[in-house]
Amino acid sequence: MYLEQLELTNFRNYKKLILNFDQGINIFIGANAQGKTNLLEAIYVLALTRSHRTSNDKEMIQWQQDFARIDGQVMRQTGKLPLELIISKQGKRAKVNHLEQSKLSAYLGNFNVVLFAPEDLDIVKGSPATRRHFIDMEFGQMSANYLSNLSQYKLVLKQRNLYLRQLKYQQAKDLVYLEVLSDQLAAFGAKVIKIRYQLLAQMEKFAQVIHKEITNQQETLTFQYRTLIKQHALTDSEETIYQEIKAIYTENQPREIEQGTTLYGPHRDDVLFFVNDQNVQAFGSQGQQRTTALSVKLAEIDLMAAQTGEYPVLLLDDVLSELDDVRQTHLLKAFQDKVQTFLTTTSLDNVAKEIINDPKVFHIDSGMIKV
Amino acid sequence: MQYPEPIAKLIDSYMKLPGIGSKTATRLAFYTIDMQTDDVQAFAKSLIAAKKDLHYCSICGNITESDPCDICRDKSRDQSVVIVVEQPKDVMALEKMNDYHGLYHVLHGVLSPMEGTGPEDINIKSLIKRLQKTPIKEVIIATNATPEGEATAMYISRLIKPAGIKVTRLAHGLSVGSDIEYADEMTLLKAVEGRQEM
Ligand SMILES: Nc1ncnc2c1ncn2[C@@H]1O[C@H](COP(=O)(O)OP(=O)(O)O)[C@@H](O)[C@H]1O
Ligand SMILES: [Mg+2]
Ligand SMILES: [Zn+2]
Repeated sequence: MYLEQLELTNFRNYKKLILNFDQGINIFIGANAQGKTNLLEAIYVLALTRSHRTSNDKEMIQWQQDFARIDGQVMRQTGKLPLELIISKQGKRAKVNHLEQSKLSAYLGNFNVVLFAPEDLDIVKGSPATRRHFIDMEFGQMSANYLSNLSQYKLVLKQRNLYLRQLKYQQAKDLVYLEVLSDQLAAFGAKVIKIRYQLLAQMEKFAQVIHKEITNQQETLTFQYRTLIKQHALTDSEETIYQEIKAIYTENQPREIEQGTTLYGPHRDDVLFFVNDQNVQAFGSQGQQRTTALSVKLAEIDLMAAQTGEYPVLLLDDVLSELDDVRQTHLLKAFQDKVQTFLTTTSLDNVAKEIINDPKVFHIDSGMIKV
Repeated sequence: MQYPEPIAKLIDSYMKLPGIGSKTATRLAFYTIDMQTDDVQAFAKSLIAAKKDLHYCSICGNITESDPCDICRDKSRDQSVVIVVEQPKDVMALEKMNDYHGLYHVLHGVLSPMEGTGPEDINIKSLIKRLQKTPIKEVIIATNATPEGEATAMYISRLIKPAGIKVTRLAHGLSVGSDIEYADEMTLLKAVEGRQEM
């Protein structure tokens, strides 16, 4: 799929803007603080309804205005699809083909993007929470089933944590209700774990191929999914996993009440990355960590194509300058004929221009754009 | 400038209603001032009457003018089955179906620590008592298909199953007359999970 046209109204520093894009590579060039990232953010928000930069939607509304609006014409295999997102102080409204969608799950998945920003290098080095967030955003985009189970898991987790607190402080005493909440959490947890495991296994295969290529066949990348049940049990059926989690809750009930919170579950999961059987997080060089992050991100593109049947759109924010020539070349070569790409940069000097076929270049200067 | 006291008070009253913020409340208040005096009087009367003349049925918890309610008093209804619902409006919806002739029990909410509702705060105790002294053989739980509705259903089922009473859950899936093509993915998944042998 690709984005044919983007129209912004009162979005960040763009009062009114219409841009038409190429199916190949689109480059936004400009000095700092001119509005390059704002454009990528708008494309990202059009796909996911939320920003990668802020959890406060109102920040995206142009100062002194009441609403921001993003309109996009997405070309898919099935034809042209108009998407529209309005962010106002009251909330968000999303339309697909001019029809308002009341459920987020009905909007997501119509337009898929993969964003790679400098902070994504943290997927490898950062905290487990960073990696969980990454996985949830990506898998949520590919699987409505995952998104729904995850959000129900989170809701039940909140309820259970509150109830455990009430039990801790003797504001409640009914253990039957705790068991109900434990069973419910175990059921949603088993579904979340099962999907995470399956998608991570698929992603690992793609990442391995890419990583081998970038490293000239020198390095083998492997993933390890860490969750509350044992590695070998991950291939078991969802029902078996559910029973195992239930047993963990039963066994640890006194401890969880004493702590007043849920100590076990996929909300504490992590993924570890290994290069040639060495944990990259702990022992990898900075270069290896970068290459790993790049392989994982690029694998996401293949995974999304495998899951949805269409390639997503790739957004690269200021990352080219962070990568050396080999990695840049790989990044651009691997996908430029299949994947529509938007990239931002302050200048073309440090970009391996030779490998880019005929890009469309936009010069950005304080919210004004010249093609 | 401040609004004169009567209108300020009216705005304040409207704001006590769910889903009404100050903007809407102000619009409603000014609209009320422009209404015919008769209409305003009838409106005020209905508000007070609804509060004064309506009670909760001491058996099933539904809203009623007389206690026990019409349904609980109707001996021609099937006394062996009861449907448990979250709200009085759910009883209305099920009664419209005109096909169910058993009894009801209204919980007035679902279990939700986030909302501060525990087992003591909804009508569960009265359901257990009712089951002990009536010939009810089957309890159909019709709470909503939200995580809280499901948890409440599971909780009730655990309390009453040991007494040998049959407990069933309302099925959820595709709505009648709807095209599979247009159902959202989660509804479809639920419908597949709840499929029945033919
Ligand atoms: N809500 C907003 N309304 C108007 N301008 C904004 C808003 N949010 C950010 N900006 C402006 O956008 C610019 C930053 O744009 P950005 O895309 O992050 O820059 P860069 O080109 O460096 O990627 C700054 O000049 C900032 O003042
Ligand atoms: Mg930027
Ligand atoms: Zn009654």
